[in-house]
Amino acid sequence: MKKLRMAIFDFACCEGCQLQIVNMEEGLLDLLDIVEPVEWREAISDQSEEYDLAFVEGSITREEDEQRLKDIRQRARILVALGACAVNGGVNRLKNAPDMDEVRRCVYGNSATMPHLATAPTKAVGEVVKVDFEVRGCPMSRREFTYIVRCLAAATTPVVPTYPVCVECKLRETVCRYEFNEVCLGVVTRAGCNAPCPAGGQWCYGCRGLVDDPNVNGAKDIMDKYGKTVADLRSRMELFNSVEARQCQGQ
Amino acid sequence: MPAKKLSQSALALWVRKLIETRRVVAPQAKAEHFAYAPLSQAEDLRLDHDVTILPPRKYLMPPSEVLLRFTRKDGYTSVIEHEPMILFGVHPYDVAAIAQADRYFLHDRPDIHYQTRRRSITIVASDVQNASEDVFAACLGTATVHDGFDVLLTRVGDAYVIESRTPAGDALLALAQDLQEADPVSLGRREQVWEDAQKLLRRQVLKCNPQELPALLDAAREHPVWEKRSQTCFSCGSCVTVCPSCFCFDVEDELDPDLQSGTRRRQWDACLLSGFAVVAGGHNFRKRREERYRHRFYRKAKYLPERFGFMGCVGCGRCVKACTAGIANPVEVYNTLLEGAS
Amino acid sequence: MMQTPASTTAEADADLYLPRPATVRSRTVLTATEMLFELAMDDGKPLGHMPGQFVEVSLPGIGEAPISVSSSPDGRDRFELVVRRAGRVTAAMHDCRMGERVGIRGPFGTHFPVDGVLRGRDVVFIAGGLGLAPLRSAIQYVLNHRKDYGRVTVLYGIKSPVERMFLDELDDWSRRPDMTFMETVDRADATWKGNVGVITRLIPAAEIDPKRSIVVACGPPIMYKFVIVSLYSIDVANEDIYVSLERRMKCGIGKCGHCQIGGLYACLEGPVFHYPVLLGVEEAI
Repeated sequence: MKKLRMAIFDFACCEGCQLQIVNMEEGLLDLLDIVEPVEWREAISDQSEEYDLAFVEGSITREEDEQRLKDIRQRARILVALGACAVNGGVNRLKNAPDMDEVRRCVYGNSATMPHLATAPTKAVGEVVKVDFEVRGCPMSRREFTYIVRCLAAATTPVVPTYPVCVECKLRETVCRYEFNEVCLGVVTRAGCNAPCPAGGQWCYGCRGLVDDPNVNGAKDIMDKYGKTVADLRSRMELFNSVEARQCQGQ
Repeated sequence: MPAKKLSQSALALWVRKLIETRRVVAPQAKAEHFAYAPLSQAEDLRLDHDVTILPPRKYLMPPSEVLLRFTRKDGYTSVIEHEPMILFGVHPYDVAAIAQADRYFLHDRPDIHYQTRRRSITIVASDVQNASEDVFAACLGTATVHDGFDVLLTRVGDAYVIESRTPAGDALLALAQDLQEADPVSLGRREQVWEDAQKLLRRQVLKCNPQELPALLDAAREHPVWEKRSQTCFSCGSCVTVCPSCFCFDVEDELDPDLQSGTRRRQWDACLLSGFAVVAGGHNFRKRREERYRHRFYRKAKYLPERFGFMGCVGCGRCVKACTAGIANPVEVYNTLLEGAS
Repeated sequence: MMQTPASTTAEADADLYLPRPATVRSRTVLTATEMLFELAMDDGKPLGHMPGQFVEVSLPGIGEAPISVSSSPDGRDRFELVVRRAGRVTAAMHDCRMGERVGIRGPFGTHFPVDGVLRGRDVVFIAGGLGLAPLRSAIQYVLNHRKDYGRVTVLYGIKSPVERMFLDELDDWSRRPDMTFMETVDRADATWKGNVGVITRLIPAAEIDPKRSIVVACGPPIMYKFVIVSLYSIDVANEDIYVSLERRMKCGIGKCGHCQIGGLYACLEGPVFHYPVLLGVEEAI
């Protein structure tokens, strides 16, 4: 079987998802049996003209990045968005709320008008080019990344969960965060991470994005049941799902 | 074998002995709740547990289990996994649910994966000492059991009455020391425990005989309760994931790193999840939350009783606790339907 | 409602989930999305199916998919499957070349009553789109035993002419003096000279004798509602209707729970249902 020519690119992000790949240790050696890295700034110095499989990490926040991404898309047979920033804008999207000049001033202070700091509203990779597959999460899960690469190398479509995180908490017998009187986003967030946050005593931050048909109205009723408000729910969603949070109206 | 009596300290010694020689799985504390886990020391055993987060079915049919191995060159071979173990401290309603799973997987054409695991499991049942807040087993006739286990433990005051029903149970009892004949007083107290269980395990009251439920549901398809209660359903599947009487599964292939071989696994599935009835091409035969929500109750109280002769509910109340939205409670649903019917 | 455990002492059957090897003998492109595979079991024995039954096709690393057998069983050690590229397994199946091996479980489920109530009656086959694939098995069977049946009618409806499958057979059926074949397309193209309109339009024109006929229908979910109403309008009784329903038959043996239609399992009581069985089963049609 011919190895897939793989490239990894990063845009606006912390590069933590790439770090997950580098940290795979023995898993990385297995991976190298089925893919051949041809461009990967964090690990090798080579560059290539074409890729079977291009992973794009990070979100798009500058105009020149859009051009660079389009160029990558043209060279790539399969393009995969890697991690929350790439899939739905992730934490970077937080800045889209207020006006952009305000954002620049707040972040860069006196240097706000420097041309290389001309930041634009955050876009997910899929808002600029066609994305074939997604590896969700912040950071992405190594297990899921490996699974997806294997599926693509075997020329089949990966099957990733479309159901909420609750399923995985129940399977791990994690005591529900609502029992600790916390607002947890697990009820509307895509599973696939194996629910490490609730198992570690933290509510779900929703880093994998919302399920296809999230019952947001249901979530509002639940806030009442647990003595919380929609504002509580919205504030939790702000971090990784700010677009949906703003659509979530009510008290 | 006639019933015996064990002091608490003799019970602890016996459990220690069992742990030395066998794999023992038993309810243990987990945060404010309880869960079945391998027992490494007798002190961790919690026979006073009210209910466990997941039922013991996770050992009879693990959440993810290998059915087959394949290689591209040689095709498929069966993988029949099993591990001899003692399920220790199983409450009567869970014993009843295991009997249901036996019927479900072993009738007609037996499922060899389930069958092999089942055969390697010895069940030490335990009468309930503390009732969970949502339990309604007594309404379904599962507050106590009289078969389906190897050994039954019942706490009577400071001691336990212990009774073996099978050769496998006899073999376990043979490891106990200071085993006394159960005296009439202790046996009388055990009768009392069983009688009390009928009251204790009735924290919620189903206002009809469970045998009446199929007919009740027959007439309730258009009842507003389905639409009303499902409005807040997250389709998260928690209610069925924690259910001891749910058996649905999905099957998936997983490739090894070399892509030349791999495993076919079965995983628990949940009819409440949105993709449960989707066919290739995308058509969803139960697209709306309401349809999925309703299906659960029909499967449990009509389809399973009609097909297998058991109701797919043993009244453990786990779904009531697991449902964040607070809509899963079968007693509330059936009683609402009864109000409309009367 | 306490139950005693079922006997666990009986020796286990073979593994119900273990596929048997079969080899692709030939493949033929039918349409842009459908391909016909001819398969043979590696043990040399016939599949042993009846028309209307399905098999689970396995591809290692991809998974399993339920697919109806499309050929008549008549004494052949090969069988045919029409595979529409719809999901992961079927997409991978389209890449299978001659001589490649696949896994087969089954045949599973109920079949069209070709050896039962259909005998001696007029038989009307109503096929919508890919529904022709399972019906073809029964049509071939009936034509192979032609003298055992009364009038034979095949009605075939598809969205557009490019979706027509088995062109040679359609041509043969339309020429045979001992059967009636009518077809229609929802949308014509420049090449199409035949009927245009939904399949129910063919029903009044087919001169079906409701007293003598048994109707056997297979098509997409949306088709049944309209076909049944149309059959009622020409006085066909519920008792004389059989339908084949598609669901997610994941295990094929009534264990996994995915193909339930109300209390019925499409893999056990179906896929072929006597229509009266489905009356009052809300999820069915």
